[in-house]
Amino acid sequence: MISPRTRRRLLVVLLHGMLGVWLIYSVLPPVMLIAASFNSTALFRSPLDLLLLRDFTLTNFSQAFTRGAFWFFFQNSVIISSAAVVITLVVCVPMAYGLTKISGRAKSVVSFGVLAMRFIPYVVLALPLFLVYVNLGLAGSRAGLLLAHLAIHIPFATWMLIGYFESVPPELEKAGIIDGCSPWNLFWNVTLPVVRPGIIALAILVFIMSWNEYLFALFLAGSNAQPLTVGITRFLGGAEAGVEYGIIAAYSVLIVSPVIVFALAANRLIVSGMTAGAVKG
Amino acid sequence: MTNMRSSFTRGWWFLAPGLLLMTLIVSVPLFMAFRYSIHRVFLYRFDDQAFVGLANYLRAFRDPLYINALKTTVLFTLGCLVLSIVLGLLVAFMLSSRQVRLRPTWLALFLVPFVVTPVVAGIAWRFFMWQQEFGVINSILGAFGGPSPYWLLDRETALAAAIVSNSWHLTPLAILVFYAALTTIPDELFKAARTDGAGPIQLLWYIVLPMLRPHMLFISIILITSAFREFDMIWSLTGGGPGRATTVLSIFAYDRGIANQDMGMGNSIAFSMFIIMAVAAWIYITVYRRVLEHEE
Repeated sequence: MISPRTRRRLLVVLLHGMLGVWLIYSVLPPVMLIAASFNSTALFRSPLDLLLLRDFTLTNFSQAFTRGAFWFFFQNSVIISSAAVVITLVVCVPMAYGLTKISGRAKSVVSFGVLAMRFIPYVVLALPLFLVYVNLGLAGSRAGLLLAHLAIHIPFATWMLIGYFESVPPELEKAGIIDGCSPWNLFWNVTLPVVRPGIIALAILVFIMSWNEYLFALFLAGSNAQPLTVGITRFLGGAEAGVEYGIIAAYSVLIVSPVIVFALAANRLIVSGMTAGAVKG
Repeated sequence: MTNMRSSFTRGWWFLAPGLLLMTLIVSVPLFMAFRYSIHRVFLYRFDDQAFVGLANYLRAFRDPLYINALKTTVLFTLGCLVLSIVLGLLVAFMLSSRQVRLRPTWLALFLVPFVVTPVVAGIAWRFFMWQQEFGVINSILGAFGGPSPYWLLDRETALAAAIVSNSWHLTPLAILVFYAALTTIPDELFKAARTDGAGPIQLLWYIVLPMLRPHMLFISIILITSAFREFDMIWSLTGGGPGRATTVLSIFAYDRGIANQDMGMGNSIAFSMFIIMAVAAWIYITVYRRVLEHEE
């Protein structure tokens, strides 16, 4: 007969064990990439051999840097993602704030429009833009790719920001109005500081979304604006996948490490920022 | 009165620039997608366009490949939805238990699959998880004397494998939402149920599930939207193959529009996706309002 106390202890151990299994499942694919990137992979190897670094080497990384035109793609990724973050914030922060200030029917129509845009499948934007850009001379330019990213980011960011702004108590602004603040002052000095953590979380999410984006880049980047995600698939296409999967793994690690580092470093912010939007619905 | 008016205009000053830009960059491509979808237009000969009405749509709907892509997309979307919700709920339920230590750390690590670049995630799964001879999955199966299927190279299993990989990417979202919701359920409720002799499974079924209904709806629509339009992950896993086994509508639209250079057809496929999603969104918003009213 097991006493209730040991039973509870067993349950706790079991609980941690199952969470541990889920943790392994969650991180195994990226961990395998990292392991493979540090192994010489002239031959195929079992997962265990890769994880134990039986054939340790750094040549995959030097190969990835030199052979895959890495820096060219990297530059495009950095420029497009950073520009996307800056423009999204400059446009969406006032927009979401304004949305919480108008009232009645106009408000529900605009918020419905913002929400509705989030349902649009990306390929419906990417496919016509291909032709539109050829006509406008934007084909294969970073600006064109950036605009396409913004079509995704602006509805997303505005929707998240509305949630943050709505959580600011109205008393705060009322006090500001009594103190004679101008509308701009109210926005900039009174409300904005309160929602700053949310804005930072959003900036990181937008950066990650842009950095990870592939569909638009495949359709619209031509050969001058390709980001890393297109870079690796090009590389994949040219490589003898079997022999060079170590280099492909190294290339992959270089792409995802900034994102993972970002996400882990700011995880509290991201979690609270995303749940603020989620709980509100 | 003046105060009301000034606060009214104040909001619009902040709102207008963004609203204009958003409307422009979303509605122009959307309108052009519709326009191209009712024209005969080819990729590198777009001066030579002709209005054809609904011919592109009819051509698409009569094409068995379109029907196949539609079916694949629906299966893929439903598979990702069910798998992500069930696993997300279980993990969130376990994680929300008070006895678990370092919960924020677990949660942070559980979010990793969500931020991994989908193209790269596809590569990782393809080379190291599903790979027939040396992949992790077959190594584990082999250790238990199981079979070693070809997964991504086999028509029968490729779609299921793609669903698993994509829901690996999406489940963190469900975990996050459910976990956040579970922490808002008062402890007294659990305590009361436990003193009444309810085990973990009863707790999950009779307390957690009913309370999570609005969140379930919310995460469902996010997962549906995301899985329905998925391109990156499938593209780098299988490229739509083997055969057409994993050709979802996004990939089929690319195939017709860019690869075959038949932009009229490509855009009609894409626009049909837009219509499907618009209907889904409309249903969601109606149901969601009803659930919220019901809760109140």
